[in-house]
Amino acid sequence: MKQTKYMMSSGTAFSEEKDMKKLRRLSLKGWHVSGFKFMGYILEKGESSDYIYNLDYRSLEEDEEEEYFDLFSSSGWSHVATEAGIHLFRAEPGTKPIYSDRDTTAEKYKSSGVLHSILFTAAVIFSVLVAVIAWTAIAQYSNKWKTEGKYRLAKLGKMTFPLLLMITIIIIFVVGERGYAIRILASSIIGAIAVPTIIWCIISLHHIISRKTNENKR
Amino acid sequence: MKKSEQLTDSMFYIMAALTKPRHGYAIMSLIEETTGGVITIGPASMYTIIKKLLTQEWIYLHDGSDSRRKTYLLTEKGRKALEEDLKLRKQMIQLAETGLKEAEE
Repeated sequence: MKQTKYMMSSGTAFSEEKDMKKLRRLSLKGWHVSGFKFMGYILEKGESSDYIYNLDYRSLEEDEEEEYFDLFSSSGWSHVATEAGIHLFRAEPGTKPIYSDRDTTAEKYKSSGVLHSILFTAAVIFSVLVAVIAWTAIAQYSNKWKTEGKYRLAKLGKMTFPLLLMITIIIIFVVGERGYAIRILASSIIGAIAVPTIIWCIISLHHIISRKTNENKR
Repeated sequence: MKKSEQLTDSMFYIMAALTKPRHGYAIMSLIEETTGGVITIGPASMYTIIKKLLTQEWIYLHDGSDSRRKTYLLTEKGRKALEEDLKLRKQMIQLAETGLKEAEE
């Protein structure tokens, strides 16, 4: 049986280049990537060789795959693995890059598909929920400290959340592109307004139903 | 993309190659050969541009019987867009050429 090991990705969306460089270093040591595995890569032990790696994002129909992979193999990029629209390729050092101009390179990250944006929006909504829960918890502690007479601590507690929120928004705008920042904020607003509304509706409905059943009992 | 918008260089090369039916790899080799290896189109760029030109109806699938190497050809609309862009590029070159000549004199 072949010797294998696992390498965790540092998150392809954030550090694709770092991952690819690491895979190259590991290839030099004789560990070659053979596929994706939960949040990372699976490596197989072989002979040491110098390979460069590259990722492309694209959702392909079944009848498009052959043409797509043929273009890569004809250009010296052999296909290693594919998962969820992410394709990993390997080539000898010096092979011409898979993206040759700026316009198409920019589109690389846009074309990752509908699933990506759904996941992204969901992630932001959940983050907002967590933030709201954290806020509630901090407020509870502040109130407790206040009654205990620890006024300074209480004030600090109350200030933590707005401060963190402000820092987050500033970071989003400074680091991200403008379109991206707007999307994050829009999703946050959905998370902050829609989700509590839904919860409120469910609770109200629950109250109405339980009241009715109580009346019926009488 | 609007009609008045200029083609990118890669799009221009690919459309010029598709005045005859060719598959993706044939386009890439033709461009590399005619420019003496100065210009190469990467496979990911190639695929992105083919898809883009198809949705714009500037090219169409000419022969899809070999699913590995499908061939494409310019549509009438694509031909016009290429001619339009060629005109503009000729003007660009002329501007530079006359400018350089005048500077020599």
